[in-house]
Amino acid sequence: MPAEEDQTKQPRPRPRLIVLIASYLVSHSSIFSVVCCIAGLIAILLLPVLAKNTYISENALMPGSANPVFSGQDVSEAIRLVKDITEMRKMGKTTGIEIQRLIVQRMADVGGEAYYHKFQSQSNQFHPLRFFSCDSNLVLTKSGSNTSYGLNTVGIIHAPHGDGKEAIVLVTPYNGENVELNDALSLGLGFSIFSHLSHVSWLAKDIVWLAADARYGEYSSVSAWLKDYHNPVFFSSENVDANMQNTNMLNGRNADVFKRAGTMAAALVFKITEKMERDSRDSLNIYAEASNGQMPNLDLINVVHYLAVHRQGFRVTIGKIVYLVNSAWLNLVGQILEWSNKLAKSLNPKWNFGILSADYVEGVATLASSMYYQALGVPTGSHGAFRDYQVDAITFTFSPRFYLNNENVQSSFLLRGGRLIEGTIRSVNNLLEKFHQSFFLYMMTAPNKFVSVGVYMIGFALLALPLPVVAAALFLNQKATGTAGIQEAKIAFQSWKWLHAARVVLMIHLWALIASLMPYFISQISNLTATESMLLWVVGSISILLVLYMTLGSPYSRSGDVEWQTLKAVMIASVTIGLGLMSIINFATAQIGALLIVPLCLLVRPLKRHMQGALSLRVLSLVCNPILVVIGFPPAALVLVKGFSEGFGGVSIGTVWEVAEFLWAWNSATYLYVFLVHLPCWVLCIQILFHP
Amino acid sequence: MALTRRSYWALAVGSLIFRLILICFSDDLNLGSRPEVATPVTSLRRLAEGYWLKNSSMSPYSGSMYHGSPLLLPVLGPLTIKRVEGLPSHLFCSSIFIIIDFITAMLIRATGQKLISTNHQSLQRLNLSCVQETTGCTNVGDLASLIFLWNPFTLITCVGSSTSPIDNLMVVLAIYGACSGLPSLAAFGWVVATHLSLYPAILVIPVILLLGYGPDVPPSKLFLLGKSDESGSDYPSDKTSSKQRSKDGSPIYLFSWRPALCFILWSLIWSSYIFFLSFISLKEFGGLSEMMKKTHGFILNVEDLSPNIGVFWYFFAEVFEFFRSFFLIVFHINILFMLVPLVIRLRHRPCFLAFVYIAIMSMLKSYPSVGDSALYLGLLGLFANELAEMRFSFFLLCGYFGISLLSPVMHNLWIWRGTGNANFYFATGIAYASLQTVLIVESVSTILKHDRMLRNKLTA
Repeated sequence: MPAEEDQTKQPRPRPRLIVLIASYLVSHSSIFSVVCCIAGLIAILLLPVLAKNTYISENALMPGSANPVFSGQDVSEAIRLVKDITEMRKMGKTTGIEIQRLIVQRMADVGGEAYYHKFQSQSNQFHPLRFFSCDSNLVLTKSGSNTSYGLNTVGIIHAPHGDGKEAIVLVTPYNGENVELNDALSLGLGFSIFSHLSHVSWLAKDIVWLAADARYGEYSSVSAWLKDYHNPVFFSSENVDANMQNTNMLNGRNADVFKRAGTMAAALVFKITEKMERDSRDSLNIYAEASNGQMPNLDLINVVHYLAVHRQGFRVTIGKIVYLVNSAWLNLVGQILEWSNKLAKSLNPKWNFGILSADYVEGVATLASSMYYQALGVPTGSHGAFRDYQVDAITFTFSPRFYLNNENVQSSFLLRGGRLIEGTIRSVNNLLEKFHQSFFLYMMTAPNKFVSVGVYMIGFALLALPLPVVAAALFLNQKATGTAGIQEAKIAFQSWKWLHAARVVLMIHLWALIASLMPYFISQISNLTATESMLLWVVGSISILLVLYMTLGSPYSRSGDVEWQTLKAVMIASVTIGLGLMSIINFATAQIGALLIVPLCLLVRPLKRHMQGALSLRVLSLVCNPILVVIGFPPAALVLVKGFSEGFGGVSIGTVWEVAEFLWAWNSATYLYVFLVHLPCWVLCIQILFHP
Repeated sequence: MALTRRSYWALAVGSLIFRLILICFSDDLNLGSRPEVATPVTSLRRLAEGYWLKNSSMSPYSGSMYHGSPLLLPVLGPLTIKRVEGLPSHLFCSSIFIIIDFITAMLIRATGQKLISTNHQSLQRLNLSCVQETTGCTNVGDLASLIFLWNPFTLITCVGSSTSPIDNLMVVLAIYGACSGLPSLAAFGWVVATHLSLYPAILVIPVILLLGYGPDVPPSKLFLLGKSDESGSDYPSDKTSSKQRSKDGSPIYLFSWRPALCFILWSLIWSSYIFFLSFISLKEFGGLSEMMKKTHGFILNVEDLSPNIGVFWYFFAEVFEFFRSFFLIVFHINILFMLVPLVIRLRHRPCFLAFVYIAIMSMLKSYPSVGDSALYLGLLGLFANELAEMRFSFFLLCGYFGISLLSPVMHNLWIWRGTGNANFYFATGIAYASLQTVLIVESVSTILKHDRMLRNKLTA
């Protein structure tokens, strides 16, 4: 960066082109950043327009090329199981392990290997030190007094043509304590597919059916089973004792022994739900977001979508934010786009993008939901547990158009659902290697439309591009003014002068690190309400900040040392690194974070320093800065979002604590981003704003 | 930048306490398995494996697990198996590494003090003390040792069970011994460093120059210039023999052969001693030829292609077997190519030359780790006065921060998440190498500029 300055100071006959461009950009940094930011915003708003139709990329999948043979006979198996379960429920025998016993018995009857999997429910515990490491072999051995156990049932069919090295996993979560009709139907569907697959000849991968006991949450039961599947447990004396007490024998075999099939090629989590509002068609809802914005391979979604729409006639939906569909300004943007499209079409008939206002709004709402769940970093279902082991998995829920207890509807509905799952399994069965052909980094704008990484990166890159340029410009201006009038004697260490500013930035980051770890200690104190914890957290953070100021020196005490331009340059550099990192870990978080923090970073300047330039610019800066500071503060932004989406009545100080605890419990990288990148940047912005 | 004595010791001890705290969490951090920290040559886990093999009377090199020196086995081996209940597994080794880091820092500090005094003397003789007064003289020894102690890379290397602190200590020992004119110490450091990781062998040039000419001074032409300008002025008397002569009118740069020859003699003695010890410890397992094949041969042949932050693995994973030996020669000769030009240009500053060599070494090593960077970044502090006007300093700091955070994320993306691939990780390796290149180029050009500045001052 300083190179450019030298170039401009002593103009050489022919400076290199790249230097010319760089120095031009740096000297026009304000215009450049305004243009880039606006272009970035437009690029983000245009994402639904730029979305492409999905296509099946892996040729081996061949969805729908074979006729489904899942028949009415299989459905009658399902209905029989559903009837047995409902009878059990009527007799009030559902509290124990009767249902599990029944399922295991049935699985063994159709020739599968079946076993019980007993797991201990454990709350997710935040451990900042092993954040991204997936080796969760450190089993929490400390068993509390109130341990509660759940019981999964697992069945395995070994493929007649397979070598037993690969497997496809089906998961049906149900509430083991209180089995509703939809749970019974899910189990019935799962079992009918299992029994159907036990006598087909085309199977090349083993089938594992996990009936997950979701009494402590779907995710925990599935993740407990996956952990045991991937980490062999070596029997200690305690384990043997526990096993000796209640041995479940089944057909002369021990049904407590954990059995495995091969590595998992894909996993399908499915369940049947009752829909509130009636619809003309049966619908299928797909959930794909796993932890920290990871997505399964797009091909998996494509296969399910293709079979559901083109073979079985389901209406496929994915989540969208309803609030946005009705928002007036979005409709306005949509109409403007539609109008400009018409205009372009009238100029040249080839320029037809086919945008309709309604489609656009729908796309934005879906995209926003996709982005929101990715940014949250919390899996939307139990498929998230599979992604931690690099297994592609999705959850889909069937919701019939009529009431579930209508028996005629039941059987046709089960038939179509079963055929869909059979077709999907057949496709996955064809795979020769792991899913790798299609995208992993994408966002959905409709069930059959996606924005890939190459497209959505543009908006973010345009937003983030001004940051290094502005940092360089500030840095160079500072050097230029610094050397102007001063004697040569004092230039020594001029090029290291930024170290003072770097120290301030480092101190704030240290503070942020301490503040981000505080909830762990606060949560150790029992009997605190959310509001109390939050207040404790705030008070603790502020006092630590004050202590740090006292020990390491306040930024204002020697204001001569730390010029605000240098401080801003260093701050922007640190934000650039943070945003760049986050865009790789979890893109959606970085995108939303950039929208909030980039304007603040670019505009912030001391309130007491009078800006040269037009009055309108000064007024604009005076007005914009406080607004941006308020929006940029993470808790304030959270409260605003919550307030607008759910009404301000339910929002309190405790909400912030609850959200932080939620993110913390799910090991979301967003938590780290907010506390290690966003919050320190905000504090530094406040410092610059009140710089004397 | 002025540090009082008390605050210096507070900071130094603070860094040691911080290391102790980190060691308590070392099992959670699990740094020993990171490719950035532990390489196949320096990993302590492999050393433990080698020790176990040797104890069960097998060759420690069997199974291509251990590739370090056989002499480290009896020193560190027993400590790897000693465990205390409830404490991290490599507690004893890590405590040894803390002590080693501290010794290294103290040696850097002593070297820095030597450099300051020579610098001061030479500037006085040039009547350029004004330069020092105006630029302000940083106590580079304190600065460099603090940079070394608080460098995150050093901290990580110390905590993350790897034997690179020992390598670093030996290199610093060689430089310190050469700076203070102790050929035996310099020879010991150089021989052991070469024995442990081969690459420090090229440091023989700066070490001999240091012993022959003494520590860094401005170029010799300046002294001649200064002399012709102000003949007759009284110079303060010097202790070094080479400078004593300048008073009598003979050239200032006279290579004193005695310490250099002593150094060569001592290195012969030390290396034969090391070979003898290795021979004893490997008597039943194939002797010295096996050791050379499995340690230095392993480094030169780049047999282990597991990813690291260097640039070798990716290339040799792709290259056809047919061209392999050719490209091995090309890659290794890269280092040797740079030796001679640098020595011609920087022979008056042998200490800085050693820094440049170490930086080049850690960039073009076959199994680099952040421990190597920790060493040269610490030594960089020794030249703070000369490098005061270095350009790109801010850019370099941001780059180092960015890359060291980005590299584990890319590794995670490739190995654990499966959404990235090897190119993602290798890109950070390339970026890291270019960053080091920028650092080397900028620091060398700044030093040359500094010399030019002195010359302008003298002629003006």
